[in-house]
Amino acid sequence: MANTLRLYLTCIRNTLEAAMCLQNFPCQEVERHNKPEVELKTSTELLLNPVLICRNEAEKCLIETSINSLRISLKVKQSDELENILTKKFLRFLSMRAEAFQVLRRKPVQGYDISFLITNYHCEEMQKQKLIDFIVQFMEDIDKEISELKMSVNTRGRLVATEFLKQFI
Amino acid sequence: MAATGGFVEADNAEAIITRIEHKSRKIESLLKQLKPVEALKTALEGSPPMTRDERCKSANWIVVHRALMAIKDVDGMLSSLDPEYHDILMKYLYRGLSTGDRPTCDQCLRIHEKLTEKAGLGCILRSLADTVNTV
Repeated sequence: MANTLRLYLTCIRNTLEAAMCLQNFPCQEVERHNKPEVELKTSTELLLNPVLICRNEAEKCLIETSINSLRISLKVKQSDELENILTKKFLRFLSMRAEAFQVLRRKPVQGYDISFLITNYHCEEMQKQKLIDFIVQFMEDIDKEISELKMSVNTRGRLVATEFLKQFI
Repeated sequence: MAATGGFVEADNAEAIITRIEHKSRKIESLLKQLKPVEALKTALEGSPPMTRDERCKSANWIVVHRALMAIKDVDGMLSSLDPEYHDILMKYLYRGLSTGDRPTCDQCLRIHEKLTEKAGLGCILRSLADTVNTV
């Protein structure tokens, strides 16, 4: 179980190392504009093949690259209804504060829970290895965070129920 | 030019599918003889290079999938595989990873790690960049 997680993260790390080859590329259609080509997808010659890496039926990662930008979309494992709600709320909380993260996308791509958009400007300011470490670390931590949240919800629920039902003893 | 190209495609597709069927029979016999590495080599050999036909690609994928799942010793397999097959194998691994089926993904992740160690990041990048010969 832990082994597949390690293999999954290694695969994503290797793919990102290979795919993060970004350079500045001004927009071809409009003068003086510079847009992340992976979002627009207007010219096919600027895009690489998108790659979908699935760990199992529930977890997957879509990596789309273009000449000046790279988009990573993650689908996190959600085993039950409670985890579903917690994941949605927690990741929405993070996405709303995307400015602080710089590489986070405000809305996840359709069908996924969270998306990152890395442009050539990010690669110039920040180190490529550190960016990849950040993404992989994020993926490891998100599972821990969600289980912690779930545990705290269950604990609080139990405490509240105990207190409430004490009055009926 | 495009029309004649399409015509040739249609004829070729049938020929290619028959060839793939022959290949799959050969692979089944190799697997029965417990030679999974040979089976994988045969599966990767005649990979349709210029077909745009989805059926040929799916048929070939099924054959390669069968050979991939039978591999138990990944290191041995990679050491005996010629370097020219690394790129094709990487493309098929990514196709396997996109299926989402648990045993396939487990096997593909295992082989992917070892293949990257052997072939390097260039192999991954070639499979990403090649938009013409996709599998």
